[in-house]
Amino acid sequence: MKAHRAAALACAVSLLAESCGTGPADAPPIFPYAHEVHDFANGLRLVAVDSGYPDIVSLYIAVNVGSRNEVEPGRSGFAHLFEHMMFRGTEKNPPEAWQAAMEAAGASTNAYTSDDRTVYHATFAKEDLESILALEADRFQNLEYSEETFKTETRAVLSEYNKNFANPFRKLDEGLRAAVFTTHTYRHTTMGFIEDVENMPAMYDYGLQFFDRYYRPEYTTIIVAGDVDFGAARAMVEKHWGQWERGGYRADIPVEPPPAEAKRVELDFQAPTLPLLAVSFLGPAYDDATIDSAAMDVISFHAFDENSTLYKKLVIEEQKVDAVMPSYPDHRDPYPFAVIARVKDAADIGYVEEQIMETFEGLKNTPVPADELEAVKSHLRYRFALAMDSTEAIADTLAHYLSLRRDPETVNKRYALYARVTPGDIQAMARKYFTDSARTVAVLTHRPGGKGNADD
Amino acid sequence: MTERKRSRLFARAAAPALAAALAWASAARGAEPALLLRPAESPLVTLRILFGAGAASDPKGKEGAAALTAAMLSGGGSRRMSYDDILDSFFPMAAGVSAQIDKEMTVFVGTTHVENLDAYYGIVRGMLLEPGWREDDFARLKDRALNYLRVQLRANNEEELGKEYLYLKIYENHPYGHENTGTVRSLEAMTLEDVKAFYKANYRRGNLTIGLSGGYPAGFPERVRSDFAALEDGAPEKPALPEPKTPGKLRVHIVEKDTRSTLISLGFPIEVNRGHSDWPALKTAQSYFGQHRSSKSLLYRRIRQIRGMNYGDYAYIEYFPRGMFLTEPEPNLGRRQQIFQIWIRPVVPENGLFALKTALYELDKLIREGISEEDFKATAAFLSKYVNLLTQTQSGALGYALDAGYYGLPDFNGWIKQRIAALTADAVNRAVRKHLRATGLDAVIITKDAQAMRRMLETGARAKPLYASPPPDDVVAEDKIIGAYKLDIESVSVTPAETIFER
Repeated sequence: MKAHRAAALACAVSLLAESCGTGPADAPPIFPYAHEVHDFANGLRLVAVDSGYPDIVSLYIAVNVGSRNEVEPGRSGFAHLFEHMMFRGTEKNPPEAWQAAMEAAGASTNAYTSDDRTVYHATFAKEDLESILALEADRFQNLEYSEETFKTETRAVLSEYNKNFANPFRKLDEGLRAAVFTTHTYRHTTMGFIEDVENMPAMYDYGLQFFDRYYRPEYTTIIVAGDVDFGAARAMVEKHWGQWERGGYRADIPVEPPPAEAKRVELDFQAPTLPLLAVSFLGPAYDDATIDSAAMDVISFHAFDENSTLYKKLVIEEQKVDAVMPSYPDHRDPYPFAVIARVKDAADIGYVEEQIMETFEGLKNTPVPADELEAVKSHLRYRFALAMDSTEAIADTLAHYLSLRRDPETVNKRYALYARVTPGDIQAMARKYFTDSARTVAVLTHRPGGKGNADD
Repeated sequence: MTERKRSRLFARAAAPALAAALAWASAARGAEPALLLRPAESPLVTLRILFGAGAASDPKGKEGAAALTAAMLSGGGSRRMSYDDILDSFFPMAAGVSAQIDKEMTVFVGTTHVENLDAYYGIVRGMLLEPGWREDDFARLKDRALNYLRVQLRANNEEELGKEYLYLKIYENHPYGHENTGTVRSLEAMTLEDVKAFYKANYRRGNLTIGLSGGYPAGFPERVRSDFAALEDGAPEKPALPEPKTPGKLRVHIVEKDTRSTLISLGFPIEVNRGHSDWPALKTAQSYFGQHRSSKSLLYRRIRQIRGMNYGDYAYIEYFPRGMFLTEPEPNLGRRQQIFQIWIRPVVPENGLFALKTALYELDKLIREGISEEDFKATAAFLSKYVNLLTQTQSGALGYALDAGYYGLPDFNGWIKQRIAALTADAVNRAVRKHLRATGLDAVIITKDAQAMRRMLETGARAKPLYASPPPDDVVAEDKIIGAYKLDIESVSVTPAETIFER
C-alpha cells in the first residue's frame, strides 16, 4: 500500500505523461491519493482517503437516491424534500443538539440532492471525527419527526423553488427535460414539478416509506477524507454504523425508449432575459468501461468550450452570442448532451442554431486534428489536478464518482479512457448519437406583454 | 507522523503555524511593488495580484470604468496576443485568470500547475502589463456589462438585486453609491479612452501587492516583482469617503417585479471594519445571529426552522456578494466602510410583512437582551475552528493574508483566534449595543404587488403569518407579539425593477 502510494504521488505530481512511463498507456492514475475501500457486513461501504492536507477532515455521506428514484406519479421532488427532513433530528439528538455538536466542531455542513444522489457533508477539525460520525449514524438510523414538522419543512422547499424562479436556466432545464424524456424520471428536475412541490404537505406517510426504502446501508457510501488514519476510521464506522439494518427495496427505474423523432420546444419566460437556445441530443450514460461517454465528454470540450471554433466565432468575432457552453453532466442513465447559447438578439436565434448544427455535422465528417485532441486531453488532466485544492474538494469529487460506480477506481478508469479517445472514436460517436431523431431544441425568450407560460 | 506529513508532495502547507511563519510581506521598495509570499509544498501555484483601487475610484459620469478596465485585462487580448490566442494557450493548461472588482480593490486571480508556470505567467504578464486595448474586445465586454445590469442582475437574480439595491440606497451620493459594473447610461457613454485613462491612473506600483503561493521555484517572486516595476510609479489618492447619511427611522424601498415571492434585505452603515477593535466582538454576534448559509443562525432557526417561512435568513457585517452561490465569502473585498445587513430569502407574499417584522423583532431583542453566556461560548468555539475552513485552499489563504495586510492585521487565523479567546459575552453585548440598532435603517422589499405591500406598511397592519400546519403554542404566542411589533416608518417608495441601474 505504502509503496504504491509513493509511486503514485511521485508520478501524479507531473502530469506530463512521458515523464512517468512511456506513454498514455502507462500514464499514472489521475487520482493520486492513498485510499482504502472497506465493505461492512450490512452492505455499507467506507472510502477513506489521505488527502495530505493537515488537520481537517471532510465527511461525505452519499446515498444512491436522487430524483431518478421518484418513480411514482405525484412524487417528483421527494428525494430533495427528504434531504431537508434529515435535518429534523432524532429522539437522542433533536435539531438543536445536532446543531450544537456541529458548531462545537467548527463544522461547515450542508447537503445536496441531484438526479442520481443525495449527499450530506461536513468539514471540520480532525479530532471531532468520531463524535460527528456517531451523530450522523444516529440520524441515518433513527430519524424522527412529526407530521407538523414535515408540513413546516415542505414550505421551506417551496420557498427554495421560488428563489430559483427568476433564473431562466431553471425554466430551460425544466422545458428541455420534459421534452426529451417521455418515460424516464429525468423528465423532472430535482426540485420537482411545481404542482408536486405545492402538494408536498400531504405526503407525510410517503416520507416514512421513503426513509425505510432508501436510507439503508446498501445505498450508502461514507467518504472520510483528509488527515485520517484508515484503521481508526474503519473502527469508528463499524462501531457507530455497524448495527444499521440492511434493506431490500429496489426501485424499478423506467427505461427511456429510443427517441423517435426530433422535437422542438418554445418557452416564454416571465421576465426580461436574453434568449436562451439549447440544442441537445440524447447521449449515453456514464461509463468507465466503454468509450462512448468519455468520447462525448471530449467532444464537449473540443467543439463547444471557450477555445472552440464555434465559441470564437459566435462570442468573440461576431459577438452575436454572450456565452456558449456545453452541458453533459455524468448520469447513471442516458442524458442529453446539450449546447446552450445565450443569444443577444432574438433575431439571431435561427442563425446561431444553424452554426451549432453545422458544428455537430462537422464532427461526423471531419476528423479532429491530432494536436487539438491532445489539447483536450491535457485540459482534462490539468483541470482535475487544479480542482483538488482542498480536502473538501477531493471528497466532493469522489462523492460524484461514487454515486455513479461506488468504487473510487472509476475515476482512474475514466481518465484512462479519455487518454485513449481517437479522432475515429469522435467521428463514430458523433454519427451514433447526433442523429435527427435524438435531437431536441429548446428556445426560451421573453415576450413583452406575455405572461410566461407553464408557471402561472 | 510529522515526518510522514512533511514528505507529502500534495501538502498545502506543512502546518498552519509554519505557513504563517513562512508567509512574508515586503512593502513597496522604491521602484518595486510589494510582495506577499506563501510558499508551500504543492504542485500548484496561485497568483493574486491585488490593486488597491476599484469602483469607488470611478470618475463621475464614468461609473463602471474600474470594472470594465479589469474585464479588458482579464477577458481581452494583450499587445502580443489576441484574446483568441490567449484562450488557445490557456486551454491545454486548464488555466485562466479572473478579475474580481469591488469598491476599493481589484484582484486578478489564477492558479496553474507548476509544470506550466513559465508559459502561464508569460501570458498573464502580457495581459496585465501590456494590454491590447482592442476595440472589438471593448465592444464585447461593454455589451457583457450592460447585459449583466439589464438582464442578469435586474431580471434574473432577484436575491442579488435586492442586496445590491440596498447598497445603492444606503450609499446615495457617496463613492460607493453605484453598482460596481456601473450604470446603463455611464456604460453606454464609456469609451476605450476612458478605460485606458483609468488604467494609467490606478494601476500603479504603489497600490499593488503581488501575492504568490504554492510550489513556485526560487527566483520566481523576484522575477514577477521586477516585471511589475514597469507600471507607473506612485499610488493614486484614495477617494475620500463621507459618512453615509442614514435615516432617522425605517425607510422602505419597494421594488416592483413579476415574481412568485417577496424578498427582503435590510441594513445600515456601521463604523466597524475588520481593522476596528470591535470587529471580533461584532463578528461573534453576527455569527450567532446570522451565520451565512448555516442552520445555526438564530434568524434561520426562528424564521425557517420553526416557522418554515423560507429557505434561510442570515446577517452580515462585511460585503458578501454572490451569497446565493457561495457558502464562504471570497477574500479581497476589503472596504473602509461596511454595513450591517440582514438577508431574508424569498417568502410567500402573504408572509412578507411578518418576515420583516420578525427580523427586526429578533434584532431588537438581540440588542436589548444580548447573547447568553452559553451561546457566546458555543459561538466563540465555533468561530475559532471555523476560520481554518475559510483558508483551506491555497488561494483562499493567500487572499486572507492580503486582506490582513489591507486592514493592518497580522496573520488572519492566528489573530482572530487570539482575539476571540480574549472575548467575553459582556464585550460582545457592549459591541452589539454600540454598533447595532433596530431602527434608522433602510429595507428593500422585492415583490409583485407593490401597492398592497405599501398599504400594509402605511396602515401599520398587524402581520399574521400563513402556515402549512398549526405551530406550537409558544410560537403562536410569540407571533402575536411580532405581529404587533411597530415599524417606525419614515418613508415608503416604489420603484419598478426595470428602472434600477439605469443611471
